[in-house]
Amino acid sequence: MIEIILLVSSVLFIFALKLFGRPSTAHRANTFAMLAMALAVFSAFNFDFSKYDSAFYITIVVSGLLGVLISKRVQMTQMPELVGLFNGFGGGASGAIAYVELSGSSLPISDVFVAIFSMGIGMFTFSGSLVAVMKLRGKLNNFNKKLADIFSVFFPTILVIPAVLEMDDLLMEFIILVAIISGVIRVAVIGGADMPVVIAFLNSLSGIAAMSAGFIVNSIILIVAGALVGASGIILTLLMCAAMNRTLRDVLKGGFGTTTINNEYEKDPISTSPEDVAIQLSYAESVVIVPGYGMAVAQAQAAVKELTNTLKDKNIEVKFAIHPVAGRMPGHMNVLLAEVDIDYEDMYTLEDINSEFSSTDVVIVVGANDVVNPLARTDEDSPIYGMPILDVDLAKQVIVLKRSMSPGYAGIANPLFVNDNAKMLFADAKEGLENIIKSFELV
Amino acid sequence: MEATFLLTLLITFLASFIGYELISKIPQTLHTPLMSGSNAISGITLIAAILIYPEVGDSQLLKIIILVAIAFATLNIVGGFSVTGRILEMFKKND
Repeated sequence: MIEIILLVSSVLFIFALKLFGRPSTAHRANTFAMLAMALAVFSAFNFDFSKYDSAFYITIVVSGLLGVLISKRVQMTQMPELVGLFNGFGGGASGAIAYVELSGSSLPISDVFVAIFSMGIGMFTFSGSLVAVMKLRGKLNNFNKKLADIFSVFFPTILVIPAVLEMDDLLMEFIILVAIISGVIRVAVIGGADMPVVIAFLNSLSGIAAMSAGFIVNSIILIVAGALVGASGIILTLLMCAAMNRTLRDVLKGGFGTTTINNEYEKDPISTSPEDVAIQLSYAESVVIVPGYGMAVAQAQAAVKELTNTLKDKNIEVKFAIHPVAGRMPGHMNVLLAEVDIDYEDMYTLEDINSEFSSTDVVIVVGANDVVNPLARTDEDSPIYGMPILDVDLAKQVIVLKRSMSPGYAGIANPLFVNDNAKMLFADAKEGLENIIKSFELV
Repeated sequence: MEATFLLTLLITFLASFIGYELISKIPQTLHTPLMSGSNAISGITLIAAILIYPEVGDSQLLKIIILVAIAFATLNIVGGFSVTGRILEMFKKND
């Protein structure tokens, strides 16, 4: 009976992934996955609910309610932090379970290896994720890189300890400590704009920790589901790295953009006013909006929507060009735009929109920088050389909405800002957009 | 024992492969809900906690550690699915 429930659960998980492939069916995927999860958890009880005391049930109910509360309250701009936190919880849970298994019964030596692995990866994910959350909230600056490099050699080494030494409590605590410190330091050296890679990577690790916990307790459904999460995280990690033309190793090494090079501009940018932008836009037939992290920081998505409506009312075509690493996590910009009811059919990926820029009348860049820097195409010495960018400089006119001329994450100047077809509107993303909308009423 | 272990490895491999194929097809626009959804699924480690909880014996420390694991995993499952549902609802109404 239990086997049949588990079989149904596994099939439902796979179907859920299949349905997730399209925005129109994805909400059904969530229902399928919830059902699969409920069946899997139910089966673990093996129809014997009396073996569990009140502390057990109270913990489940209280944390379940807390989960609902958090998920209802969280703002869409805070999604990177929430996913980061959940990565940490997932890793922490698997790590804790591995610890209990190691200190309890005497496991066969092969399971000891798996358990040490699960505990190490789980604790690393836990501490690394908490640091990632702090970084996303801007509460932590970059950390000493040397120390991190020492630990990155140290950490994998300790995972093979059980091959030479008998496990005891002290040794386990030592491994946990090293795993936690390694997680903290590794993430601490990586800069904010690399967070899409870090979050996806930790996501993957939380799945791998769960999968190895499945090997210890001999639960195939746990192994399967853990493997799915691991695979999903790895895919996203590689996609994010490819979108920056960097290797995972290079991202995890940290310290990107800390060396400032060639930060000077040859000429002054042309600055513009909200009124001029409104006039410029009212003569356009096609407009592409490029959102970046600046839009999330300023909570400007509602203003973007309002401007879109204004333009569409004037029969101007509006599209959104979204770079894969815009924002702080994969898909961050898409969710913010979906939140304000912008149709996902109007959101374009880099591959789909790049050929269209040359025939676009006006591009509005809202708080993005490195992802529209043409140096990625032209300057071989640039740290971002070879990174796929949105070719907005090819459009007829470009308006860059940005607070100042300060460089982006890569620490380099962006020649787009002084291009002949570009004008700067110096303002906070939200304020700037609202002023453009107000000016429209006067045009 | 050996045969079961190999079978388990085979299942792991197949699951990873199917997962890789299906997830590769998920569009960029859904990458955030994909991550929060996989957060929820990583909470499946709750199963391991349920399996070992009755066998932990008298140690209060170990019991507390499992309860922490249960709290984390439950938070992930419930919070993860709930927030993913919220996000996907935003994509649905545009359809």
